Amino acid sequence: MATWGRGVLIMASAKPSQMVCHECDLLIGVPLLEPGEKAFCPRCNFLLAANRRNAQDKIFAFAVAALLFLALANAFPFLGFSAQGQERTVTLLQCVAILITENFPSLAAIVFALIIAIPAIFLLGVIYFSSSLALSRRLPATEITLRWMLWLLPWSMAEIFLIGILVSFIKIVAMADVALGLSFWSYVFFSVCITVVVMHLDKRELWRGVRALPNE
Amino acid sequence: MSEQSAMALGLQGCPICTKVGPVECTSCEICGARLHAGWSNSIQRTWAWLITSVVLYLPANFLPIMYTRFLGKETENTILGGVVSLWTHGSYPIAIIIFVASVFVPLGKILVLGWLCLSIQLGSTFAVTQKTKLYRVTEFVGRWSMIDVFVVGILVALIQLGNVMSILPGMAALAFAAMVVTTMLAAIVFDPRLLWMSAEWDDLK
Ligand SMILES: [Zn+2]
Ligand SMILES: [Zn+2]
Repeated sequence: MATWGRGVLIMASAKPSQMVCHECDLLIGVPLLEPGEKAFCPRCNFLLAANRRNAQDKIFAFAVAALLFLALANAFPFLGFSAQGQERTVTLLQCVAILITENFPSLAAIVFALIIAIPAIFLLGVIYFSSSLALSRRLPATEITLRWMLWLLPWSMAEIFLIGILVSFIKIVAMADVALGLSFWSYVFFSVCITVVVMHLDKRELWRGVRALPNE
Repeated sequence: MSEQSAMALGLQGCPICTKVGPVECTSCEICGARLHAGWSNSIQRTWAWLITSVVLYLPANFLPIMYTRFLGKETENTILGGVVSLWTHGSYPIAIIIFVASVFVPLGKILVLGWLCLSIQLGSTFAVTQKTKLYRVTEFVGRWSMIDVFVVGILVALIQLGNVMSILPGMAALAFAAMVVTTMLAAIVFDPRLLWMSAEWDDLK
């Protein structure tokens, strides 16, 4: 046991029950949860912890599925557009490439990173540390991977990109016909899968699992 | 246990692994993540990113975000102009979404972080709990401002029918994307425990 702050007693790491609400900064004891249980902040209702059923398996499966859908999203026509008797079909990568040819390479780099590169790195990292947990073996740099992936999370913007597509449609629907390609649906599934992965990531449970791995 | 703010008790939760530890720690003892106290000169760094954001905010809002070429005629589109045209075409929900994401959130974020920095520098003790909460909200919503950048990317990629109908990206799209990134960085380097330092920190030491 250790004494911190104004004489508040915090248990040593063997009993990790204290948490701080990220939204309202309430200090609160949260017991370890049983599968299927969730803990909400009593003051602001923020989700503090969630031990979802079969979380580890689901994280792994949906991360692999998300990566596959992302690969498919790059393989087929993404969106089609026709107006005034002319047609045009683009792939996802063309959406990025056109910004380079229009003399905005830095904007292309930002968009590419936020909608493809960072989500892909995030998923690879998730697959890596969940393999570590599934194998009960401490693969090299498991902890660093987990830390970096949690840090990277806000910079993965697949769901925001989807809202962007929706807004674009509404802007052009009056003057043109828009066709949704196979890759568009792949990107939707990719976005859903990555959301499921994020939903099942419980920081406290993950770190408990990773720290319990035996040292090689 | 009565409801207490962690900051008021000199404690913070690690954003990466949730471990609760003393607020003075620069890195987390469990996961090694850099904590708020790990940023030296937090206020100066936040100001630096905020000033960069303001410098980018002006071209982002006043320069064209894209150019529409229709039957050989080119028109300029600004962010606010886009909102107005959505509104006049009756797409009220989308107009509101774009207005909130592109105009209200970035400006609100810059103003809130600027106000928080100022109140720390002036030693204000007013409503620190609410200020901490406000900071968390700005930290969370900032990334949604990227919508408009993606809209430009999609429209530019799709609508390329030469002189019949084309859309070209404008300088404001880049300025706006850079501004969203800099406001996100400003929120990352901001140290919310300083809010409590001016309030109650003295008697914690
Ligand atoms: Zn709360
Ligand atoms: Zn930590």
